[in-house]
Amino acid sequence: MRVLLVEDDADMAESLRSSLTADQHEVEIAGDGELGQSMALAGGYDVIVLDRMLPKKLGVSVVKELREQGVSTPVLILSALHDEDHRVEGLNAGANDYLGKPFSTRELLARVRALWHGRDRDVQTRLQVGDLEMDLLARTVKRGGKKLDLQPREFRLLEYLMRNAGQTVTRKMLLENVWDYHFDPQTNVIDVHISRLRSKIDRDFAQSLLHTVRGSGYRLEA
Amino acid sequence: MRPSLALLRTTTFRLALAQAGIVLTFVVALLVYIYFATIGQLTADSDILADQEYAALERSYAEGGIRRLNQEVVERAAREGPLLYVLAESDGTVITGDFQQLPAVPGEGAEPAAAERIDFNFETTNADGAPQRGRARGQVGRLLGVGGPILLVARDLGDSSVISGRITRVLWTVAILGVFLSVASGLMASWLASRRVEALAHTARDVMAGDLKRRAPVRGEGDEFDELAEAMNAMLDRLERLMQVSRTAGDAIAHDLRSPLTRFRQKLESALDRPADSAADRDALQRALEEADSLLDMFAAVLRLARVESNPNWRLERVDASEALRELVEFYEPAAEDVGRTLRGHISDALVVRGEPGLFRQAVSNLIENALKYTLPGGHIEVHALRRPDGRVEISVLDDGPGISPPDRDRVLERFVRLESARSSPGAGLGLSLVAAVARLHNGGLHLRDGIGHGERRGLGAIFVLPAVQTAAVAR
Repeated sequence: MRVLLVEDDADMAESLRSSLTADQHEVEIAGDGELGQSMALAGGYDVIVLDRMLPKKLGVSVVKELREQGVSTPVLILSALHDEDHRVEGLNAGANDYLGKPFSTRELLARVRALWHGRDRDVQTRLQVGDLEMDLLARTVKRGGKKLDLQPREFRLLEYLMRNAGQTVTRKMLLENVWDYHFDPQTNVIDVHISRLRSKIDRDFAQSLLHTVRGSGYRLEA
Repeated sequence: MRPSLALLRTTTFRLALAQAGIVLTFVVALLVYIYFATIGQLTADSDILADQEYAALERSYAEGGIRRLNQEVVERAAREGPLLYVLAESDGTVITGDFQQLPAVPGEGAEPAAAERIDFNFETTNADGAPQRGRARGQVGRLLGVGGPILLVARDLGDSSVISGRITRVLWTVAILGVFLSVASGLMASWLASRRVEALAHTARDVMAGDLKRRAPVRGEGDEFDELAEAMNAMLDRLERLMQVSRTAGDAIAHDLRSPLTRFRQKLESALDRPADSAADRDALQRALEEADSLLDMFAAVLRLARVESNPNWRLERVDASEALRELVEFYEPAAEDVGRTLRGHISDALVVRGEPGLFRQAVSNLIENALKYTLPGGHIEVHALRRPDGRVEISVLDDGPGISPPDRDRVLERFVRLESARSSPGAGLGLSLVAAVARLHNGGLHLRDGIGHGERRGLGAIFVLPAVQTAAVAR
């Protein structure tokens, strides 16, 4: 996957480049907002990672103008300002995700992959991972033809995991996307929710679908 | 700034100058009014008097001819009084009267009895023979029309000019005195005021120079300067407290950062000292990473608290507290069960508060996590939310853990305060401070009391009160 990284801090950019490269991405770096915008316009990128504070043009303006210019490449904004207001502003400008600094590299890698894979997921009404099926209209979940009884929140948690099947999703991504919480719980709440869900979808079956990715998060995979 | 000139620049002095201007204007207006009122009245009076005399003499002439008139004029002119008489022949030659000459000769064509009004100056000699100037006003006319004798009756205005002159002098004196008094009182008032202001400014300068203990003098007179001084002192008290808090916060954060940073360094160093061993190195790196994360968490908490406390521009909106609280209880309930605690919610319906949705959830989540952290296995946590009789929404997070002794309760709401008993557990001691800051931001409050425990395990109750949004839907 080709990633455009717009970041003015050279050390940070190099460190992110090596992580992204190690994760099998091809990375090009732009050092300011204007250069980033013209490179994005030239096209050919699968995901754009954009710092919020950039010389010459702010990240938010870059996204906004790119969207007006018809560029629909998924954009992830990185920001030292993890205010709710700034997050909403970034998303309203057309960004697809917003990650506050400091973040872990794993968090960034998971989100970049999720952005790429999630491009056209909203149109689906049926999700399937192995023998696990979800009907979004009837709000039912079956595994191996057997109906599973999920609470509404468990349903949304599973839906998010299924939409990102094969990808690692971090605890923070779950917290933001399933619960819309933008704070860090100091307890292992997410793990407990996952283990409850796991007991419902995996316990009676030989093959496990919901895997723990050590140090990163979880992955649903057949 | 030289004090003498400074005094002239004060607001009080400018007000006094304006006042002096008003006094001056008023006196001039009064002068004009009195002048016209007195002189006008005197003129009208003398006109009536002169007219009556003229008419009486006219009748005498009609009855007794020139001889009788002549006699009457001589008699009347000899009388003491303000009236002056002149009888002259038709060519203006004076026959008898108070003057040797007519001040004016009426026209030849004048109708009989159609007398003219005249104003004139004259000169006479007084009893001592000294010349005396005067002013008179009266009637002059030809009796019998063309060819008739000329009669003049006038009133000496001398005394009335003296009166009006006197009044004018008095008023000018009053005006000058008024202006002088205004300026003097203005200088006095501005001197008094600037002395008080200078005292306040002096205090402010001392505080600026670093003497945070300085306070503005309060005279106890309850006037506006006392009010200002009291407000200033209250401000200085608060500033001093904040300075102290941030100073202790600085100390506390330095202290709290030292241990994790030391551990961080020590882990990296020992990994470097050991012979290369992939598994052990990775383990050391992993643990160093965890230390770094906890440091970053601490910074994030400090920054979040600073943002809540210093940013006045939070957008407050309607927050469905009932729903948000039920979701939070649902969110934490499995985690509580996982560690052997029970978490139950008792949430009233339709509680709507005015708040910042993210901060509201974060504050309640801090209270729940705090309860989870400090209760013992088998403990109970209850989240209650209800509308109080005063309309505010009260959210209580109660537990049956060890609780906090009453003397310590206020202290733990301050930044970075962690009681000795809590030193071993993770956290920067900012959880409750953040809730308190969020409560303040919402014009609400946070206070601590006993929880739902008994005896030694009294438990802790954190009561978070927020102003409610009154809506039709809620009122129904």
